[in-house]
Amino acid sequence: MARWGMVIDLDRCTGCQACVVACKAENNVPVVAPSQAQAGRSMHWMTVIPEVEGEFPRVRTRFIPRPCQQCDSPPCVKVCPVQAMTKSPEGIVSHVFARCIGCRFCVQACPYGVTYFNWQAPTWPADLREALNPDFAIRPTGVVEMCDFCHHHLQHAREAARAEGREVRGEGEYTPACIQACPARALIFGDLDDPTTEASHLARGPRAYRMLEELGTSPKVFYLKEG
Amino acid sequence: MKLSRRGFLGWSGTLVAAAAGCQGIRAIGDLQAATYEAEVPPQGIEGWVASVCQQCPGGCGIQVRTITGVQDGVKRAVKIQGNPYHPISRGSVCPKGVAGLQALYDPDRFRGPMKRAGARGQGQWQPISWEEAVATVVQRLRDLRAKGEAHTLLLMAGQVRGLMQSLLLRFLEAYGSPNYLSTASGCEASRQTLFLTQGIAEPIAYDLENSAYILSFGAGLLEAGWSPVRQARAYSHLRQGTPGRRGRLVQVEPRFSVTAAKADEWIPLRPGTDGALALAMAHVIVSEGLYEKEFVEAWTFGFDDWQDAAGTSHLGFRSLVMNDYRPEAVSALTGVPIQTIVRVAREFAATRPAVALAERGAGFHTNGLYNRLAIHALNALVGSIEVPGGTVIQRRPPLTPLPPVTRDAAALRGLAAPRIDGAGTVKSPLASSVVSALPEALRTGSPYRPKALFLYYANPVYSVSEFVRHPELLDAIPFIVSFSPFPDESSRHADLILPDHTSLERWQDDPIEATWGPAVLGLRQPVLEPRHQTRHTGDVLIQIAQGLSGTVAAAFPWKEFSEALKEGVRGVAGAQGGLIMTTPFEEARQRRQADAGFWLPTYKTFDEFWSQVAERGGWWDPAYSFGNRERAFRTPSGKFEFFFQTLRQRLEALTRRGAASGVGLDGLLDALGIQARGDRVFLPHHEPPRFVGEEKEYPLHLIMSKPMSLAGTRTANQPWLGEIPNVRTSRPWEIAVEINPESAHKLGIRDGDEVWLESPGGRLRLRARLYQGIAPEVVHVPFGSGHAAGGRFAEAWGANPNRLIGGEADRLTGTPALFATRVRITRA
Repeated sequence: MARWGMVIDLDRCTGCQACVVACKAENNVPVVAPSQAQAGRSMHWMTVIPEVEGEFPRVRTRFIPRPCQQCDSPPCVKVCPVQAMTKSPEGIVSHVFARCIGCRFCVQACPYGVTYFNWQAPTWPADLREALNPDFAIRPTGVVEMCDFCHHHLQHAREAARAEGREVRGEGEYTPACIQACPARALIFGDLDDPTTEASHLARGPRAYRMLEELGTSPKVFYLKEG
Repeated sequence: MKLSRRGFLGWSGTLVAAAAGCQGIRAIGDLQAATYEAEVPPQGIEGWVASVCQQCPGGCGIQVRTITGVQDGVKRAVKIQGNPYHPISRGSVCPKGVAGLQALYDPDRFRGPMKRAGARGQGQWQPISWEEAVATVVQRLRDLRAKGEAHTLLLMAGQVRGLMQSLLLRFLEAYGSPNYLSTASGCEASRQTLFLTQGIAEPIAYDLENSAYILSFGAGLLEAGWSPVRQARAYSHLRQGTPGRRGRLVQVEPRFSVTAAKADEWIPLRPGTDGALALAMAHVIVSEGLYEKEFVEAWTFGFDDWQDAAGTSHLGFRSLVMNDYRPEAVSALTGVPIQTIVRVAREFAATRPAVALAERGAGFHTNGLYNRLAIHALNALVGSIEVPGGTVIQRRPPLTPLPPVTRDAAALRGLAAPRIDGAGTVKSPLASSVVSALPEALRTGSPYRPKALFLYYANPVYSVSEFVRHPELLDAIPFIVSFSPFPDESSRHADLILPDHTSLERWQDDPIEATWGPAVLGLRQPVLEPRHQTRHTGDVLIQIAQGLSGTVAAAFPWKEFSEALKEGVRGVAGAQGGLIMTTPFEEARQRRQADAGFWLPTYKTFDEFWSQVAERGGWWDPAYSFGNRERAFRTPSGKFEFFFQTLRQRLEALTRRGAASGVGLDGLLDALGIQARGDRVFLPHHEPPRFVGEEKEYPLHLIMSKPMSLAGTRTANQPWLGEIPNVRTSRPWEIAVEINPESAHKLGIRDGDEVWLESPGGRLRLRARLYQGIAPEVVHVPFGSGHAAGGRFAEAWGANPNRLIGGEADRLTGTPALFATRVRITRA
């Protein structure tokens, strides 16, 4: 069985945020009003964190795209009292919105801060509503939501593969929206257990590391350091 | 049974208690699922349409996913992704591209033709019919023409190319006005750089993918580069594209921009001294003999001292840089350490291919053209011209040329009139269009008072600083027509709004420009039926022309724009070359065939060609023959000119006739603000920059950038982009002034304080953000937000730094000197 994972090459990433907007569009993630945004209630399943170090003129910046880290040992799943946070046999951590009771234990437990709570019902001006993605439900007030590696893309890929009587290929067939968008090819996706995929190759490479690895969460998102 | 979610919370405790074991918990989940009514957007039949994005001038190919609702039968565009066949985008998009959906579904779009109901600037409208709208325009234009005032029609256009631009120019020619004003002034200096050095009046294009060393002077490569997708891909390729090789990028500019952040080395320098720095590097390269001798000897003119036909000896580039640009002197001027100058110059010359870029930063000063010329001279020194990884010239697709226009007497009289903006005269000798000269012309009524203005993708009240401060100046024009699909500051002053379709609703060709070498023709096609009562401006132009009858109507014989488009594209189909956009594998195969002398088209008839182009998104010709030096140099000498003979001829011609005769060359140079004299005028040199505002009163330099999300002026009304305005400050809906912490501390400003930013031109209230990545004497404000009109979101956030920009310009090219304004900053 595939174990889906993402590799993020920080050397290639230009901080353009195409992944951020592509994710918003794909998953019908609402835009919150500026006042709400100031209160820290912006919702970005994928976001780019800028890290600035040093003093003028010796300054360094890194842009770190941060989706859900898709832990193999996910704290959010452990604390969820209603099994709304689940980990599939293929390792994808996703959230069943209909089960969520809004307790936000997962928000507290996640060391990466990738779970978002719907403080308000999502709203779109009538016209903008037309562009909603029909493949994904809109979440009501009071539930948590987060990146699930565009799980619906996997479902589509699986249907297509099943029609041909085979498994989904290790790369190329199932691709989350952020990865489709990335103009710098900084995001690479594939089956980490399939040694033929680029993702598995890079994840084993000398530049690879994982975010807050020491916590024992075993993320399936690998970062490649610059250089 | 139906439960509210809150009610359920109370329930759950009881249930958990009741169910002893895991099974119980699972059951709760199921119960909740049964009671929760998820809202799912309308389902339907999927379709994909290839088109071209128009969120910025990049010209990236996109694919748009449509869903035709099963229940309501409505076709909706629900996703934009990159077109994998399009050579510019190769399957990916930038954030603006994705947000193109929010341009289509912009809730504040104009919904149909309207006439002004209130006073100018109020933005009150009354809907009218298209027939009445077109008839009104025809009547006004006919009257002007009858009075012999055809030349008083101004047409202001933003980024437009291909057939639409040809039709706009054609309309003016047939009607009889010389006044095509382009607001895309940033390209003018790039075009002139190539024209003076290589004799080709086109913006410089760069083959970045294949470069090993990019020395960029202020180019916003990874912010608002053309096209952002291709630039990001080129950057990515430079870094990790070839195993074992990691190309270098060096960024020279006063601010630690995104490009600087991704560069191996950031070299901050004093604003406006880029040219001097480039020439100091040239000094190192020449004095150490590191330049490409073969190329310089065979293909350049004016490197060594030379004698003209009359026997007068002239200064050569070598003597110039050896005498005037010693690194010690330049270091003091630019603030860049001597060691850095020497080291970077050596690296640049030792790495092949290396390319020097001069876009934006270096070009937006009063000495912008000379800066660019100095930087382009570095490319000539290392032979990076028309070679892989160097500068290239954008090829154009072989569209069928439009038949010539018959000019009647009224047209001839109108075209003989001088341009309203003084472009090409002593005011701005090299310019083809100077929008920033229009406010002055409107104030003084000289050389004449314009009587009508067409606005096509141009918004001067937002983008031209004098109009930002004084929008009422536009009211001196008695008849203004806006073709904008969206409300904007300038349209508020229009008498008629004739809204165009948005880019996802119309036919249009998009030949890429100033991006890369090969000819690429993208095709924009309607993804869905127009959502509102809008009309293609091409169609409207044809209808206006036909209403004017006579030679104007004869110049527009088509029924509609798409007919003219097909005719133009017929030339590409018949050109016997290139291919329909396809996969890289297929391209490689076809290129091999082309090398062997075969051209195997995938189509037999034009109809086949057209349907394939529509399906794949366009046509391109991947063959770009490098090293074709005859083609690359069309100067008087047929070589790269270090000594600009064209500039000399141009300026001398101006002193012989017209307004500058009698004052001589020196007088003309004084008027242009050029301090150099003698041969130096015609050589790349450092011209001391002028700034607006006294240093004592206004101690800081203001610079601007176009962040990735705001590269078009229209994107501020798209919430997806408003949330991510600037990747480094990373706060949604916020445009702040960046200031060095040390400077801020002296002024008592803390991070997040509200401040006033003041220039001699005006003031702006903003939040301050302390940032280590900016030189202490510089502050920075991103450009693209802060709209007075433009929709509910655009009007709610940001600030427009154009309000502060003073009236200085690079007078040679008429390019506004956007980075030449000094400011002061105080706590609000």
